[in-house]
Formats: sequence, structure tokens, C-alpha cells
Amino acid sequence: MFEILSNIFDHTLIYATIRSSIPLVFAALAAVITQQADILNIGVEGIMLMGAFAAVTTSFLTGSWLLALIVAMLVGLLFAIIMGIAHLKYKADIFVIGTAINMLALALTRFLLSSILKTSGSFYSDKIVGFPKIHFDILEKNKYLNDILNNYSLLEIIGIIMVFIMSYVLYRTVWGLRLRSVGLFPMAAETAGINVFRMKFQAILCSGLLGGMAGAHLSLGYSKLFAENMTNGRGFMGVAAMFFGAANPVLSAIGCFIFGLSDSIGARLQSYGFSSQFVLMIPYLFTVAVLAVSMFRHIKKEQKAKSSLSSIEYKSFGFLRFILREKNTKLR
Amino acid sequence: MKLKNSGITFITILLSLFIGGIIIAMLGYNPLNAYLNLFKGAFVGKLNFGTTIEKFVPLLLTGLAFIISSKVSVFNVGVEGELYLGAIAAAWVGYSIKGLSGPLHIGLCFLVAMLVGAIWAAIPGALKAYWKVNEVCVTILMNYVAIFFTSYLVNGPLSAKTGIPQTPAVADNALLLKILKPSRANIGLFIAITLVIFFYWFFKYTTLGYKLRSVGLNSSFSDYLGIDSKRNMLYGMMISGAVGGIAGAIEVLGIYGYFLDSFSPGIAFDGMIAALIAKNDIRLLPIFAFFLATLKSGALGMERFTGVPKSIIDTIIAMFIIFVAMEGIIKFADKRGLKFKRIKMMEKN
Repeated sequence: MFEILSNIFDHTLIYATIRSSIPLVFAALAAVITQQADILNIGVEGIMLMGAFAAVTTSFLTGSWLLALIVAMLVGLLFAIIMGIAHLKYKADIFVIGTAINMLALALTRFLLSSILKTSGSFYSDKIVGFPKIHFDILEKNKYLNDILNNYSLLEIIGIIMVFIMSYVLYRTVWGLRLRSVGLFPMAAETAGINVFRMKFQAILCSGLLGGMAGAHLSLGYSKLFAENMTNGRGFMGVAAMFFGAANPVLSAIGCFIFGLSDSIGARLQSYGFSSQFVLMIPYLFTVAVLAVSMFRHIKKEQKAKSSLSSIEYKSFGFLRFILREKNTKLR
Repeated sequence: MKLKNSGITFITILLSLFIGGIIIAMLGYNPLNAYLNLFKGAFVGKLNFGTTIEKFVPLLLTGLAFIISSKVSVFNVGVEGELYLGAIAAAWVGYSIKGLSGPLHIGLCFLVAMLVGAIWAAIPGALKAYWKVNEVCVTILMNYVAIFFTSYLVNGPLSAKTGIPQTPAVADNALLLKILKPSRANIGLFIAITLVIFFYWFFKYTTLGYKLRSVGLNSSFSDYLGIDSKRNMLYGMMISGAVGGIAGAIEVLGIYGYFLDSFSPGIAFDGMIAALIAKNDIRLLPIFAFFLATLKSGALGMERFTGVPKSIIDTIIAMFIIFVAMEGIIKFADKRGLKFKRIKMMEKN
């Protein structure tokens, strides 16, 4: 038993966790930036899938991973534009549009897979060029450092840097402040001279770029193939992580790492014959619990604020009440 | 959404079919021939028509479940989870209890499925009503939990131990009667239609229905009137969950005869789409659910006989939804209406 446990929880778990959580981090960041503008972006899943397909196709046809990344981001942008126009200009419900985008991406990739790449199900070829892996020769000497810090795909490192960039942009720049104010109270932002429509549109566009990157990483960094519905709910998990972190980039990324950790533990448990479903369930239950507790505390705080307010009222108007009561008793 | 506005929706149907036709023509197929085969694949022959009905029933029920929860202004994305749990509950009751007469056994299966669905939906419902936790997020997460949980059950305690992750077959007398024999269509169709009519009546003519609608439209006003908005929101969500459970039970008792691991390819999401296109009008729901079912079952025939890939149809459906959702695009809105809408929106904010 102890042997199995030490096999599961060894130092390579860190590497496995980071690998499986970075696709989620990108998706979560895409959800964070729109959520800060008060748009619940369910369409991340679809944008990711389109990005993944565009990246594999471009890489296969041109042999350049950089071009593949750019094309994937542009495709993400295109889908984001569709979402933005439909939601902001024509007042479509964002949830409907998001769901439709997900359906569209699923159907479109399936269709393009058969018409461009002439296969169905999944596509793999030696001609696909993946993202380069970052390798330090110095770290090779130490077994642990080599296992933990070496051989990351390029976008895995960029993903972690992105979290801090996003955090900086949202909380330390004028643009971020404006975006958050648009999300918090659009009318006040409008009064302050901020173009709400433009800010929201920009947020959706950024989300599209990030979603495209997420997809490209999934198909060229995390793996080197494209499969039908290969995102497999990762976009939704990103949204869940965003909720977990209350739309804060760093906290959301931590949420992603918890998801990734339970995913890797689940995979390892499965190879020892345990049912992995319960481990896989934990992050979802955990997120629901966190949401519930945070909202409960919020409400309790509000109630407390209210009751202290009424007690102040009581103190300040106590004298008046006293008089009123006196009057009432006299009248009786 | 009033009925007279539904004309716009029908125009969008035609528009998206037209655009789809252009795409099909661009691929070098004859669009009219493709649509003709789509129609044939959905309606001509007992098997084809039965398949359409088979796809129509879960769409209708999950759409109904979604509409019921939106009546209390809860956006219930969790119908998929309720479907799964209802299905496995029905399968469990179906195979583990023996010696009951047919109708009684079926009734018991449905009852347990409804109960399980309602309890599952009560969790996000209560969180939303009492603690204001975002129900979209909770229900999406709980879908995963439900799917993993049923997957565990079907691989472990409830497994038929045949190597395939499925439960033992349901007792014969608990199966729903098949109609249109070679296909898997069953009397679940009539159950579904009865439920739709019942809930239309329920929301329009009963006190509880009125209370639920009132809570959905304006919860503070309902509280002022003495209608407990929180409790009624919870009730609405539980009814929605029960209907989701029924949808799952019909899938098991009518179509498969056992519970299969991850059997639903996102049925409830399609049902939700039907409900959203119908703009939460119970009268319009059957029409759009049937439309989606037709497209889905006809697409197979179209692919077989003309070579037009099936995924084109899914693309058309997705486009159609985007068009329908963009309310402003077809309405040649007069300026007054637009202004009024904007004022209303500002008030909302």
C-alpha cells in the first residue's frame, strides 16, 4: 500500500500536474478576461477546438509552429468577433451564443477534418511540427531538477507567465481598471466617459486570442495530433476554475492546478486498478463547495452589515422612539 | 415571446437552410437533392420515422425541464446530470426488483427517477435561492459529478460484469411498449406529450404555477404579495429536475433496456437549444424540438444517399441558433421600440 502511494505521490507528479493543467490555465484566462467585463464566456470550449484544429492543419501544411500559433490565434479572434457582434451589437444572450459557438466548432472541425485532411475521428502525421521543448543541459545532472524543471513545451512556460501578465494588466493598468469598472457597473462607467461597448468587445477579442492559444497548445504542445472533440470539456473546466478564483487570474490558475493535480492522481490511480471517478469528481465538488461557502459568507456579512445599521438607527433614534412610545401610551 | 413573433423564427429557419444550401452547392452537391434525402431520411419508412420520434422524445423532455426552471428564472444547465441520474435510478429499480406487475413496476421506475432528479436539482436550486450562488456554474460542475458518479456505479456496484460498462438488463415487464417496430420509438412519446400539455396547463391555470411564474418575473414583488420566492424557486427547480429524471427513465426503459456508461451525447444540451429557440414558450417547444430531431435523424439518410457529410447539418443547426439568438438582426425595429428597449435595459442595470 505504502509503495503504491509513494509511486503515485512522487516528484514526477509535479511535472504531470503542470502539463495537464496548462491547457486549462489558458482557457481559464480566456474566461477571466471576459468575466471581468461581466460576460460569462461559455464559448471558450468551441474557440479552443477551432484553435486546435487550425494549429494542426497549419503546422501540417506549412511545417512552421510559429505560423500555426498565429493562425490558431486568428481563428480564435474570428470566432470571438462572431460572438462579440452577436452578443453586443444584436443583443443575443451570451449563453445561447456560447453554446452555439461550441456546437459550430464541433461540427465545423468534424467537417473540415474530412474535407481538408481527408480523415475522420482523429488526425496524426509525422509532418506535424509541435512546439519546441525547452531543455536545459545544466539541469540534466540532478535527477529531481531534471524531472521537475526540464522539458517543458514553450507554451507551458508562456502560460504561466501569462497569468502574471494578465494579473498586472487587470489590476495595474488603466485599461484593466476601465475593464473592471465596465464589468462592475456599466452605467457608472458610461457616465465616466468609458465606451462600454468597445471595452466589452476588446475583452471578448482578447478572450478569442487566448482561446486560440489554448487550442494550439492542446494540439501542438500537449499532444501532437487532432481528434474530434479533443477539448473534451476543458473549456468548461477553465470556466469552472475562473469561478473558483472569482475571476482573479492567479487564483483561477491555482484552481486549474488543483484540477490538473486530481486529473494526474486519477490517471495514476486508474493504472493501479482503483476507480478513478471519485478522484476526478473531487475538484468539481470542491469548486461547488468553495462557491457555496464564499457566497454564504458574503450573505452573512451583508446581513451583519444590515443589522448593525439598524442598531445604529435604533441608538440614534432611540430618544425619538422613547417619546413616541410615551405618546402612544398616553393616547391609550 | 408572443406567438406572432414566431414568424421571425421561421424566417431564420429558412435563412439558415438557404445558407446551408449554398454551402452544400459550393461543395459540389445538389442542395435540393440533399434536402430531399434529408426529408426522406427523417420521415419515409417506419424505421426512419421511428428514429426521428426516438430523438424527439428526449429533446422535448429536456427542453421542457429547461423551460420549467427558467419560469422561476433559474438557468438550469444541469438537465444532463439529472438525465443521467434518472436513467441509472430507473435502470436500478428496473433490474433489481422482480415480480411486480408491468404498470406498477414502470410507475415505480419513473417515481424513483423523478425523485432522484428532483433531489439532484434541489442542490443548485437551494444554493441559488438561499445563498445566491450562480446556478450556471454549479449545474455545469454538477453535470460532471453526475456523469462520473454514474460511470463509477456502472463500472462497480451496478455493473452487469460483461466487460462493457452497463447495468444488467431491465426486467421485461418494466420495458416501455415499442411503437413503429423496427425502430426503438416507444410509448414514451405519449408520456412526453402528456407532460408538455400538463405543464402548459399547470403554469397557466394553477395556483402553484402562477406562484412560480410570479417568482420568476419579479421575486421581490412576489415576496411582497406573500409568496415565498425562495421556496418557490426551489420547487421550480425540483420539478425541472423531476422532468429531467423522467427523460432519463424513458431513455433506459424505452430505448436501451439498460444503463450504458455515458450514453448521452449531450442530449440535454440539444433540448436546451430547443427551449432557447422557442424562447421558453411551452407551446412552441414541440415544434422546434421536432425540427431539431428531424434534422438530426435525417442527416444520416442524407449522408448515406448523397454523400453530403452529416456534420454540415450540425453546422446549419449551429448557424441557425446564432441567427435566432441575434434578435435585432431581422427585426426592422422602429426607433421607438429600440429606445424603449434601451431604457428598459438601463433600468435593469
